[in-house]
Amino acid sequence: MPSLKKLISYLSAAVMTVTVCATSVSASEAYNPYSYDRWGDPISSQVGYTADYFVSGDDIGCGALNEPADLFVSHDNLMYIADRGNNRIVVTDLDFKLVRIIDKFTYNGEETTLKKPTGVYVDPYTDFIYIADNENERVIKCDVNGNIDRLFGKPDSELYGTELTYNPSKVIVDKAENVYVVVKSVTKGAVMFDKDGKFLGFYGANRVEQTAEVLSNAFWNLISTEEQRARTAKSTPIGFTNFDIDDKGFIYTVTESTETTTDLVKKLNPEGNNILDSLGIDNEFQFGDKSPTYYSIYAKNSSLTDIDIGPNGELNILDFQHGRIFQYDKEAWLLFIMGGSGEQLGTFRSAAAIESYDNHLYVLDSRKNSITVFTRTAFGEIVTEASNLYNDGKYDESYEPWQAVLKYDGNYRRAYVGIGNALFNRGEYKEAMKYFKISISRGRYNKAFEGYRDQWLKQNFTLIVIVIVVLIVAYAVTKKILKKRKQNSSGKGGA
Amino acid sequence: MLDLTEGQFVKHVIMHPFEGFEDLRWKKKGSMKIAWVIVFLLFFQQIAYSRLYGFQYYSDYDKIFNIVPYIFRSFILFLVWVVANWAMCTLFAGEGTMKKIFIYSAYALVPYIAGYLIGTLLSHVLIKDEYIFIQLFEILGLCWSFVLVISAMKAVHQFTFGKTIALILLTILAMIAILFLLVLVLTLFQQVLIFVLSIYTELSYRFRV
Repeated sequence: MPSLKKLISYLSAAVMTVTVCATSVSASEAYNPYSYDRWGDPISSQVGYTADYFVSGDDIGCGALNEPADLFVSHDNLMYIADRGNNRIVVTDLDFKLVRIIDKFTYNGEETTLKKPTGVYVDPYTDFIYIADNENERVIKCDVNGNIDRLFGKPDSELYGTELTYNPSKVIVDKAENVYVVVKSVTKGAVMFDKDGKFLGFYGANRVEQTAEVLSNAFWNLISTEEQRARTAKSTPIGFTNFDIDDKGFIYTVTESTETTTDLVKKLNPEGNNILDSLGIDNEFQFGDKSPTYYSIYAKNSSLTDIDIGPNGELNILDFQHGRIFQYDKEAWLLFIMGGSGEQLGTFRSAAAIESYDNHLYVLDSRKNSITVFTRTAFGEIVTEASNLYNDGKYDESYEPWQAVLKYDGNYRRAYVGIGNALFNRGEYKEAMKYFKISISRGRYNKAFEGYRDQWLKQNFTLIVIVIVVLIVAYAVTKKILKKRKQNSSGKGGA
Repeated sequence: MLDLTEGQFVKHVIMHPFEGFEDLRWKKKGSMKIAWVIVFLLFFQQIAYSRLYGFQYYSDYDKIFNIVPYIFRSFILFLVWVVANWAMCTLFAGEGTMKKIFIYSAYALVPYIAGYLIGTLLSHVLIKDEYIFIQLFEILGLCWSFVLVISAMKAVHQFTFGKTIALILLTILAMIAILFLLVLVLTLFQQVLIFVLSIYTELSYRFRV
């Protein structure tokens, strides 16, 4: 009996060491890193960015931050923090040493201050700082010393509507110095001004999601009178929450909505049309989590609150609901998912803004009042290299990096597509078909199959002709023989 | 005239949609064995259609394989059709017996099975742009089988055309009713099972302490 006890204790000790080792391997992150496999099911994966450290206001040396709302990394490598609760803009360098605090402004000789600033942007061409001064109902354009160049107040236009409030929450500026302002009460898109402060209209509205209610409303509107129509609820789209502009002038928007799935992430051309639709074959445009996460009985969908365009055109999207960062490459393929909700490093309570610089991601938490710095891992480096080569059309060069990615994570679907495309470009259709099949990309598989079929037909053309000829001859001969036999037998029967 | 074996009669019936079943009835050459083979082929055709189709067109969720839906789509649906049809034909004073309905309906399914099997085979040779050829076979098989089913029901019950159509529609309604009742019975038995199991669990806890 004691020997059995001993055995059990040994076994349990062994099991414990194994589990401890197993957890210590993945314990580098405070959450379970995952990705989506070829069927869209979540599957354990590796992170592309790992949380290095976090910075509070005291670390910067400007006093504690109070509900900071926005983060911006400027072209001259300075970080601007919109410190909403303290009514100021904190400027640091990328090592988080304080450069200056902007909280006093002069406009036409008069002193003025901010009231709950929620957005900040620095124009790389003119060096002007744009601040969404939320509760003062204006956008400020000023220089680093706080000298205001221009104010963008509520548009005095019938198009805007007098009953609508004007509380700017985010602001960006394009190359022509047109100013785009996200106002939460406006659902028609961003409010757009030219550089002289003239109201130009709205830019890039979301579409209304086609629900059964919307369709039935449209039907009743066809047959109802003008009066009845005025009484029915208007179907309005959900206004987008946040945006970013890339160096080519495309504006990317995100919509913080847990109910709809239409237009959650858009890439807008200057006309305001979404051009994410026109990306290549086999791309599915689903941003955020594919299925809701369950907290006991409550199912919660992603709620995308901020977007940032990285140096290689990658899309960093911040999910407020679960504190997750989703990184997509510029073709909208999922690269990594990082973060989670919680108190540990790398998780968030109320993720508010995301910025990127080089191989770092900066995430602002407005309840922890801190900035978490993520640094790209070795896995992240190799994926980024591979996807950059791939997106530049250098499929062949991306073959080796993609193979290396598979050594890190054999479930990484994107790598199979990349290898498949490299093989396809080399004309190794049969191998390419294998990889496209693994990654379930039917469109690409179809093309590879077409190539393989042509190849096969060309190689075996003579063989096919011979087989056909032989078959025809064999058919004719057997028919003749059968006929003869029948004649013979019937002849015998007759005799 | 028409000295065909049972096997040859299958071909005759399919190739002569309008008189074939009458001939079959006249010669009494229907075979239950062949009918069962056809129903099994239907079962395999259903599996092949969702599992062996060309990847460029379609592939099923391959992490699990559940055979129950295929059994339902072949055996259960077919048997329910036979039972419902028999039940309805007694109301209409049709002449068919259950066995005859089984055989005639199975024979009528052959073009459908063949069309979809050919489609499945072709899907490994053709690309997406050429899908229309696959569709051609599949639709052709479906329509042919439809005509055969009408003809078969007409022959087996000795109905007029209008009466046959009415019978088929009523059969479909009866099938829905039967399936509904089946589901109801299954859930009821499930409830009873859960009840018995929970009593067992409670008793076993009581006696353990």
